[in-house]
Amino acid sequence: MKLDNSTDPQVGYRPPGPLEAGALDRYRGHFGSRQAAHLVRRAGFGGTPDDVERLAELGADRALDAVLHPAEPDLPFPDSPDPAELYDIQLRVKNQAAQMWYLDRLLRTRRPLVEKMTLFWHGHFATSLISSKVAPAQMVEQINLFRAQGLGSFGTLLRSVTYDPAMLVWLDNRKNVAAHPNENYARELMELFTLGLGNYTEDDVKNAARALTGITLAAGSRVVFQARLHDADVKTFLGRTGNFGPDDIVDIVLAQPVHQRFICRKLLEFFVYSDPEPELVEELASVYATSGFDIGKTVGTILRSNVFFSPRAYRALPKSPIEFVIGLQRYMQFPQVPLDTLTWLGRMGQIPLMPQTVKGWDGGPTWINTSTMLARMNYVNEVVHAQKSAAAAAPGTGSATMAAGAGGASMPSASSSVGTSMSPASTGPAMNGTTVSTMPKFPSSLPSMRDPGAIVASAGGLHAERVLDAVLGGVVQRDVTSDLRGTLLAYLDGVNTDNPQPFGPETFELRTRGLLALVFTLPANNLN
Amino acid sequence: MTTRRTFISTSLGVAVLGGSLPMALVRAAAAQPLPSLGSSVDPRNVLVVIQMAGGNDGLNTVVPYTDDAYHRVRPVIRINESTVLRLDDRIGLNPAMAPLLELFKEGHVALVQGVGYPNPNRSHFEATQIWETAATDRPTATGWLGRYLDRVAPSATPGRSVLATNGAPIDFTAVALGDQVPTALLAQHVDVPAIGGLGSFAYAGGKDIASKHSAGVLFDGARPGQSPYLALIEQTARAAFHGGDILRQKTAGYKPMATYPKDNLSNQLALAAQIIGSDVGARVIFVTIGSFDTHSDQVGQQNRLLGYLAGGLNAFYKDLDAHGDAGRVLTMTFSEFGRRVQQNASNGTDHGTAMPLFVVGGRVKGGVYGDHPSLSDLDSGDLKYHTDFRSVYATVLRDWLGRDPADVIAGTFDTLPFV
Repeated sequence: MKLDNSTDPQVGYRPPGPLEAGALDRYRGHFGSRQAAHLVRRAGFGGTPDDVERLAELGADRALDAVLHPAEPDLPFPDSPDPAELYDIQLRVKNQAAQMWYLDRLLRTRRPLVEKMTLFWHGHFATSLISSKVAPAQMVEQINLFRAQGLGSFGTLLRSVTYDPAMLVWLDNRKNVAAHPNENYARELMELFTLGLGNYTEDDVKNAARALTGITLAAGSRVVFQARLHDADVKTFLGRTGNFGPDDIVDIVLAQPVHQRFICRKLLEFFVYSDPEPELVEELASVYATSGFDIGKTVGTILRSNVFFSPRAYRALPKSPIEFVIGLQRYMQFPQVPLDTLTWLGRMGQIPLMPQTVKGWDGGPTWINTSTMLARMNYVNEVVHAQKSAAAAAPGTGSATMAAGAGGASMPSASSSVGTSMSPASTGPAMNGTTVSTMPKFPSSLPSMRDPGAIVASAGGLHAERVLDAVLGGVVQRDVTSDLRGTLLAYLDGVNTDNPQPFGPETFELRTRGLLALVFTLPANNLN
Repeated sequence: MTTRRTFISTSLGVAVLGGSLPMALVRAAAAQPLPSLGSSVDPRNVLVVIQMAGGNDGLNTVVPYTDDAYHRVRPVIRINESTVLRLDDRIGLNPAMAPLLELFKEGHVALVQGVGYPNPNRSHFEATQIWETAATDRPTATGWLGRYLDRVAPSATPGRSVLATNGAPIDFTAVALGDQVPTALLAQHVDVPAIGGLGSFAYAGGKDIASKHSAGVLFDGARPGQSPYLALIEQTARAAFHGGDILRQKTAGYKPMATYPKDNLSNQLALAAQIIGSDVGARVIFVTIGSFDTHSDQVGQQNRLLGYLAGGLNAFYKDLDAHGDAGRVLTMTFSEFGRRVQQNASNGTDHGTAMPLFVVGGRVKGGVYGDHPSLSDLDSGDLKYHTDFRSVYATVLRDWLGRDPADVIAGTFDTLPFV
């Protein structure tokens, strides 16, 4: 198979070479739709072609400003799921209510970076509904904490997490009392959250556990410090000796320079590529330290940097299931997240609010196995074929009209209502509050704005190549070889099938849906 | 599970050489095949594991019906001497388990009593992790069967042949029946397929056949100089796309020769028999039946589930036997914990500790292994174990699968004579 550089940039992870000078300096290179789409994927969960184009037109600096410091307020999302569900007697109902509440904001938010950081911290401080120990309402509170503080000071966040009800339950620190120390939180605080293995001793774990005694939960999940349960004797921790309490432990951990590299490496692995060079980690750690452990500033430096826009970072990370699924739903402009999304995410190996272990999701190549890939393919097919078109949901307009009069430049006006905003929720007739509120609570198939009629309209007519390029451009920024493009074009035109009718009024519905499924299944679309 | 570091460091060399990257190589680099231990062990032996999720109440599964203490602590939910299915003059099976009693009488069932481990954990999740990773202190990233697979599966061993189509290897050495791969089967170098059914383990192109044809070539783009992640995704997607077809072709000739009950466990066991009876190289099959967490109104619920288990095991054995495979299949059950001795106020039982498990097969040495745990000598209201679950694992590994248990389980454990 020949390599065609005109349509196939070198997508995917590249092995490390020498780190170029100025890796964290501000990127001044070309900023087209590929770079804008890269930013929309990494700093969020993908979007519509219009979202990408709007950012591309802003240029790098203003696009980054829009991502890092959005001017518009976000939609008025509820602070918690419907209490009738969140406190339902059935665990399944409660869990689903919390999970759907969480996912909804990923789909509809106008501030995707806040949600991206929330997912990062959710994976980092991986607390889970899996053991039924943590109440869904506590999980909701923890997610709200990440949303509020995820781009602020790491010190503040770490202190908040230490007193977070869900964490106190998950890692047992509420049971950690002077008479019976429980080391679970003390250990993970260092191993998983700040320092990493090898940077503390077993004695440090024991002493930290003693200092962390006395934080308990009172009625209503209220956090209280009970002095009578606290070990008030002298402790020696990471080389210091004193009558330490919980806050001292957090401060001493933060004072360890190794925590800077630990956090910065993890941010680079999440935002840039999976094996950041030690020099790059060091450079970012010094930015992080200078900022006073400010996560927002550190992430801002990453996203504006040369290394973020380097070929080595381009499509260099396997998409997580949440990125894959929410990316599809944002592109398709779902008005809300369908309930069966949870089932599919489970098959793909990432159930939100339910990581399998205290280590969180391993990510990277562990997302990719035969069962999870089959789940991705089958999910895509189910979605594209199950989605009703917005036009079908509102009879008398849209694709029905278009199918009848298809074929020329005079396409219906649907294109003007498609994707004119960062947020699918703010767009188009099916997206207004009235229509959404009349839908069943968790429908498994919802009208989508990105139906075959809208795609054909935005491509400028019933022309196979134009439709193909619109979809390839919108979904994978044309990151395909010319051979693959040929395969997809042949599919659209019915070559080598039992229905040799070309792409046209009779065939465009099914084939545009089929094309979407094929393009979303492409290896390139499984890379972020 | 493949670690990020392993993946990148091992894939790098291949990428630099300019070849595309077979998944087997990606996953294989660190695996060192060791010689098999017992030459007396049939290499075609198959292990089937049935997980009874939720914590099965062992005391109403294997009933100490002559012990007054039993009838005293369970005034409502006890099983009467008149209905119990007697195994000997002290213990008997739950009355719903007649099909298992039949196999027991034929000598195909080993009942291992009092199974547990030190400092038992009563959390479903954590106890399940302990059983599935065989690590009682801190769960490991791989499962006990996953570590076994890392030693033996063809895809973990460079140069050994694997079923393949269009250059995509697919390894059915271990198969998880259901939606997800359990922790027990998480391996470092082997990708274990989760198979809900022969129909559902397939690319579902829906009504659009043409798109399925086209999808088939989407993943054939591997070429020199390609990113290893892209290659991994293409290889895996290709194996996933074609793997179901291979499985369906290979299993098409199989006809069940027993009548299975119509429940989900039996459906899975029927599929297990079909996979075992076909030439796909399956050595480990994992099956799950849930809902054993009987905190209230236990009797009806548990009896129904034990009926599924006994009926399924009986049909499975007969099906295998009719195909001449009963002698090379060993089926074992487990549950994350047994339940509290004393019944609770809701006519159910709360989370407990030790429990019995069953081992079934044509070459299993049938009988009862170990005494029923005492109902008077308790550990804060719970039964004391006398047989570590890792002894059962060690027995299966050494005497059935022919591996040194030390390859797979930390620590040294006695084996039992049931194989």
